[in-house]
Amino acid sequence: MTSPATTGSTTTPTGAEPTARTASDSRTSATRRSTSRTSTTRTSTIRTKATQAAPSRWLSKAAVNGVLLLSALYTLFPLLWLVTAATKDTGGLLTGDALSFKGFDLGHNLSELASYNDGVYLRWYLNSLLYAGGGALVCALISVAAGYAFDKYDFRGKEKLFAVVLLGVLVPSTALALPMYLLASRAGLVNTYWSVLLPVLVNPFGVYLSRVFSAAHIPDEALEAARIDGASELRAFWSIGLRMVMPGFVTVFLFQFTAIWNNFFLPLVMLSDQKLFPLSLGLYAWNSNTHAEPSFYPLVVTGSLLAVLPLVVAFVALQRHWKAGLAAGSVK
Amino acid sequence: MAAKARTSRRTGAAAGVLLTPFFVLFTAVTVVPIGYAVWLSLFTEKQSGLGFDGAESVFSGLDNYTAALGDRAFRDGFWILLGYCAVYIPLMVGGALALALLLDSGLARARRFFQLALFLPHAVPGIIAALIWVYLYTPGLSPVVRAMDSGGIGFSFFSPDGALPSVVNIALWEWLGYNMVIFYAALQAIDRSVLEAATVDGAGAWRTAFSIKVPLVRASLGMVALFTVIGSLQLFTEPLILNQGSGSAVTSTWTPNMYAYTAAFARNDYGLAAAAAVLLALTAALLSFAVTRLTTRKGARA
Amino acid sequence: MSRSWTRTTAAVSVVTALALLTGCGGDDDSSSDAGRGTADKPVTLTFWAWQKGSKDVVDAFNASHKNIRVDFEEIPSGNAGGYAKISNAVKAGNGPDLVAVEYPMLPEFVSQGALQDIGPHLTDEVRKKFLPQAVDLTTLGGKSWAVPFDAAPQTYFYRKDFFEKNRIEVPRTWAEFRTAAEKAKKADPKARIATFMPDDPTTFEAMAWQAGAQWFKAEGDTWKVNTSDAATTKVADYWQGLIDDRLVQTAVSFSPEWTAALKDGSTVGYLGASWGAGVLKSTLPDQSGKWGIAPVPTWDGRPASGMLGGSTWAVTKGSRKAAAAVEFATWMSTTEEGVRARIAPGTSSAFPADVALRPAAKKAFDAGFYGGQDIYRLFDEAGASINPRWSWGPTTGTTNTTLKDQLGKVSGGSVTVRGAVRAAHDATVAELKKRGLKVEG
Repeated sequence: MTSPATTGSTTTPTGAEPTARTASDSRTSATRRSTSRTSTTRTSTIRTKATQAAPSRWLSKAAVNGVLLLSALYTLFPLLWLVTAATKDTGGLLTGDALSFKGFDLGHNLSELASYNDGVYLRWYLNSLLYAGGGALVCALISVAAGYAFDKYDFRGKEKLFAVVLLGVLVPSTALALPMYLLASRAGLVNTYWSVLLPVLVNPFGVYLSRVFSAAHIPDEALEAARIDGASELRAFWSIGLRMVMPGFVTVFLFQFTAIWNNFFLPLVMLSDQKLFPLSLGLYAWNSNTHAEPSFYPLVVTGSLLAVLPLVVAFVALQRHWKAGLAAGSVK
Repeated sequence: MAAKARTSRRTGAAAGVLLTPFFVLFTAVTVVPIGYAVWLSLFTEKQSGLGFDGAESVFSGLDNYTAALGDRAFRDGFWILLGYCAVYIPLMVGGALALALLLDSGLARARRFFQLALFLPHAVPGIIAALIWVYLYTPGLSPVVRAMDSGGIGFSFFSPDGALPSVVNIALWEWLGYNMVIFYAALQAIDRSVLEAATVDGAGAWRTAFSIKVPLVRASLGMVALFTVIGSLQLFTEPLILNQGSGSAVTSTWTPNMYAYTAAFARNDYGLAAAAAVLLALTAALLSFAVTRLTTRKGARA
Repeated sequence: MSRSWTRTTAAVSVVTALALLTGCGGDDDSSSDAGRGTADKPVTLTFWAWQKGSKDVVDAFNASHKNIRVDFEEIPSGNAGGYAKISNAVKAGNGPDLVAVEYPMLPEFVSQGALQDIGPHLTDEVRKKFLPQAVDLTTLGGKSWAVPFDAAPQTYFYRKDFFEKNRIEVPRTWAEFRTAAEKAKKADPKARIATFMPDDPTTFEAMAWQAGAQWFKAEGDTWKVNTSDAATTKVADYWQGLIDDRLVQTAVSFSPEWTAALKDGSTVGYLGASWGAGVLKSTLPDQSGKWGIAPVPTWDGRPASGMLGGSTWAVTKGSRKAAAAVEFATWMSTTEEGVRARIAPGTSSAFPADVALRPAAKKAFDAGFYGGQDIYRLFDEAGASINPRWSWGPTTGTTNTTLKDQLGKVSGGSVTVRGAVRAAHDATVAELKKRGLKVEG
């Protein structure tokens, strides 16, 4: 992950930011709705124009779709390779012919994956689910609570405190991982579940996002009504605020889940016990073993395919959600 | 009046309760580690005799900083990063924007499919993306390299000249679609009457795209640039995989992040590692600050 | 006020912060069993290694011993991340009891304070069993730091069928080696008789060692570092020539690229060491019977060898089970059962540092892959020719990381082999100085 938009391996500012960027408010969806309406009109206008210059239009159309097709080929090809490679045995993998099904051995690869080292791969899978699921859940809750407080309450030094949160967004997470490791090793926390779980509970970006969502989705009147009914502040948050800000909660959860699932640097420095590894680190360890033992190649490749599946399925199934999340960030 | 005071005390307490978890954790995983790293960076392990009698930690002031800055490998890391940014950022921002404009041009078909197809690599963890691409770079295994060879393009991804392109390509693959979707969403949100007016005025597709659409999505451009810069500074996973056993010319200190990692885990010099991490964090903070200032000024009242 | 105070505060503040959420404690079985363990109350050891056959050895040991139970974990090989993992765990206070460390890295680990002196548990009787060079390399500052396991004289593996078919003689000197490389390339433009492995500085070091170099020398309490001697320069220039003239393949050790080239027969040789016999055999099962082993070429035709890798077992600093750990390590290194258990499954061709065990090792290794060649006799002769003057310095981590990074650029031409050695030299000297040690060089 490292690269561009955070998600950096580790922790805090990770994942969510896209959404954030400015994260609009309920206006966004309204704008988008009207957009889709107008775009029909627009297409028809263009169409009228198009009849005047049919051949050149046909050409442009071919060019545009051709470029798009090429770029889709670029993004999909490695995934296609992963699928065919995962079906191969060691020999098939190392003799090339990557895109055929020569040396088909998927069944064996899967059973090896399940049984190697007492099924440690399954354990990694569960660990990843725990880190990503549990971490993202708690992170989203903490973020929403803080975002809600920033939005709904006035207290001294509020905006200064919020500026600290924004500053936190800008600290690259991998630059923090090493200091965290040094500290954790001092505190005796290295190589525990907590060493990986605790840092991912914090996402300043999630707080920022939650504040925006809270402003957009929780009308002050609703809270006022609850207060008049005699509900305590915390009860009002828990039973009214949290429910109304659910879309924000889901967004923070989704992005943090992806970030943690893809996390590599933090577990790499923190964990040495295989039983605690998430998938990313486990596959890395196996990949290191391939050097002495080529029979690890099929394990790494098939294991990678299975590790990618849940997110691919989630992204295909939840297209509306991540598109809305990214859109929220893009419209100022 | 009295009622209001009571409410504000009440809400103050509630705000405290809701904010505490975040700020306690934030302090524990951000502020304290940075402070501790700064502290550690002021000490060096000194040994005696031939070095086999154990070591003691000695206050050494800014020695670790001068050691890091004086180490060519560390400085080279920043140059490489700079080169990386120079190649990667224009390609990424330009490429993503171009694809978004094509998708938004009214000529594209199957727009949902293209969005999904381009976005999908984002679902692949960086480490796995790197593993896949290492195979696709490896001579003798890769269909891509074979195709290039038979096409007369003998490019070695593992050669020193190939190091930068091979890392840029992996990052591009992972993030191109992601940023494209952001731009596309921004383009879709443009008020269509503006575009129609332009068409009526006789502006062609190119002119509409560059003189109307692009200026209108300037804010998104700034944000994507900012996060791409921050992300670039963190460059670690992909070059690490290329470094470890692929045959690539990517070194173990290729980026400042890798330098810090190597200092801690291969050289066991925590002081040096801490100093390198602090210098990196500082650079990142300065850069993000600069980019934010730049983009907010430009994007202001956009 | 000072440092320890602040450190404690920092640590405490985090621990309190974390304690809010955790409530977890280290559940190390602290049954304070410092002794050797008994059948009633066995000691449980943890052992990390990557050497082939380790799991089989552990199983055999556990089956035949009641006083000690060994929990084995296979870790990536040292340079592929194993060393980082070990030192990381030891620093964090949750390291295993016994670990594998190769000779080159031993001084680095000792100097980090990651290991403990096992002198009290290692009798002279045991020590005498080993090749003297191996004992020297594990004795640092007058203390014993590890139980030697194997000796790893460098050897040359080659495809007999290819050499015979093209009438290429197996090279005995480095001059002949170059000629053979040229002939091979002429016979088949794709054929290479060896691979330059830029990620593996120890192969280069083994050749410098063979040629008589002495990079690290301890005099009094001063380290003399010398890498610009005639021997090293000769080796550097020789390899520069082979690389420039594309007479060797360039690929990372054990990488897919290397394996693929061996599989398709374009790479027909391998400069490895005794342990490499098992690696080739398990990597290329379908080339059984086609490989032969020869002593590593020398400069003057007289037998000489450097050591490429070679493993020892060392007890980590934090372990309170040193006695049991040494007992198990000694069993692995000096008993027939131990050696047989490792070698018989077929992946390991370890060449024991315990001289008396070589017949047992030979019997256990199925040399069919090498057409029944008496490879242990060859190892024996090569082992005896290991140059005894070489020793490793306490900064191998820095030296080898730098050398590796620089050698990676050689094939592209931006760095020469000599330049790479020079850079490693400078980094080494700087590191020694940074640690407050006296250096000349």
